[in-house]
Amino acid sequence: MTLRRRLTPYAFLAPALILLGVFVFYPIAAVIYYSLTDYDIVTPPVFIGLANFARLLDDDVLRLALLHSFVYLLVTPILIALSIGLAIVVNRKLRGIHVYRALYFVPAVSGSIAIGLTWRWLFDRSGFINSVLVSWGVIHEPIQWLATPSLVLPLAMMLTIWAGIGYYSVIFLAGLQNVPEELYDAARIDGCNDLQKHWYVSIPALRPQIVFVGVISSLAALKVFDEIYVLTGRTGGILNSGVTMVFYLWQQAFERSNAGYASAIAIVLLLVTLGFSIVNVRLLERGESTAR
Amino acid sequence: MTATTTTVADIRTAEGTRRRATRSSRWLRNAGWYVVLTAVAVVTVFPFAWMLLTSIKGPADPITSVPPQFLPNDPTLAAYARVWDSLPIANYFLNSTVVAIATGLLNMLVAAMAAYPLAKMRFAGREFIFYLLLATLIVPAQLTYIPSFILAVNVFHYYDALPALIFPNIVSAFNIFLLRQAFRGVPDDLVDAARVDGAGEWRIWWSILLPIIRPSLAAVAIFTFVTSWNDFLWPSLMLHTPKGMTLPVGLAALQGFFSSDFRSIAAGVTMTVIPILLFFVVVQRYFVRGLSGAVKG
Repeated sequence: MTLRRRLTPYAFLAPALILLGVFVFYPIAAVIYYSLTDYDIVTPPVFIGLANFARLLDDDVLRLALLHSFVYLLVTPILIALSIGLAIVVNRKLRGIHVYRALYFVPAVSGSIAIGLTWRWLFDRSGFINSVLVSWGVIHEPIQWLATPSLVLPLAMMLTIWAGIGYYSVIFLAGLQNVPEELYDAARIDGCNDLQKHWYVSIPALRPQIVFVGVISSLAALKVFDEIYVLTGRTGGILNSGVTMVFYLWQQAFERSNAGYASAIAIVLLLVTLGFSIVNVRLLERGESTAR
Repeated sequence: MTATTTTVADIRTAEGTRRRATRSSRWLRNAGWYVVLTAVAVVTVFPFAWMLLTSIKGPADPITSVPPQFLPNDPTLAAYARVWDSLPIANYFLNSTVVAIATGLLNMLVAAMAAYPLAKMRFAGREFIFYLLLATLIVPAQLTYIPSFILAVNVFHYYDALPALIFPNIVSAFNIFLLRQAFRGVPDDLVDAARVDGAGEWRIWWSILLPIIRPSLAAVAIFTFVTSWNDFLWPSLMLHTPKGMTLPVGLAALQGFFSSDFRSIAAGVTMTVIPILLFFVVVQRYFVRGLSGAVKG
């Protein structure tokens, strides 16, 4: 083999690897260094050792952000359950079903800022939701949805779920369409009703899709930002009620010019994501061995 | 004779009733599904419909009445005119289009190049590069924003310019894996035959393989286009000149600009959602195929 031929695979890979080097690997190294410095982006970083991390240990907002990010992971099981349900519903030959499937996709392509502004208006003090609830007599006074600390995070999660269902149900639908019809026939002969049929046939058959959606949507949940930003009007909510890991990172780095401290938060985010991915892989391996 | 006719007629009537019965019960069951389907569609679409209705309500139509008033008595496009006059929406639109097309096409090219050797060649370090790429999937992009911000200002000098949105997003390990899967679906014999005929790797890649995996290429380009079109955090860090903003960044600015003028905010949201929805309707087929293909990898 000539040298030229031997170098060909690397030539094909070069653009991707160079770009990843500049925009992923170098930044990771840099963020580790910045996390050990006092840095405001304008003046050069000053090395301060582990001081940022010591400060993190006593930071109540960080603790809150971690808690919120973990709570946010609840969207994953809800998304999986609802998306599978929807996929089962739309997996039948009805006239106009394509139109419905397209309508379910509307939130998924609209973009988080447009979605956030839309729901902000619906949940406004004088918005649609209050207006309906008051006129039905469910409540007497309008609720200050987004100014109620305990409601900010659940509303943001609701947005994530609402926007994600259409997206993920397409993945499950593709999985369902690959399930051989004989399996359902066999289940029916064995005396399964419609619900049992899906429990014993559809769900096990959708295993690869469940894993995929589980990993993708939980990684997305750990880095939620846009929904919080719009719903709280870039404040993070009263009493930091909507502050998540990435929101806090952004706030420290770009609102308060604490790039060094924000880099330390970034390291925590990286560790959380890594740990979470390892747990994920372990669970998958265990699931696979029991499945066999 | 008469007895036989009666029987045939009887059978016919019986069959007719049965057929009618199954048809009507199927109709009933379908009607039930349509109720469910429509209810879900209301949940997914109504918020935007409410935005649209709010945006076209005239000055005499209340937008915060109890109970809510749905249809405007006095529809007007005044809110659209207000938004159009006070913000450079056309520039936002153009900027978003340029960034999303460039990001989509470059992603397709770079991922198609990287995926080919990973799928079809043997070389030292292949495993290592594969796992390196896999690892980048775990790293949250936001982690890189502080150093990338400093690179943009000090090294690349594209702060507050559109290339700042394109360059950091040209390569995605996800797209590389999707195309690697597509290349693996092409029989090795085809590639080997071309090699025997003396075709170089670049020729094989460009003239034989790329045409075969065209649907996957389209899926990558379209996916990246939509992601880039909706991207917010990084663009909001980079863009500050109003005319240079993309739609999501401009839309977030609109929230501050029209603080409590909900008719204008609604008009702005409607104006930005409609183009991407139209785009989605046109490319829906590829979108769905790309989503379902992604899982096999």
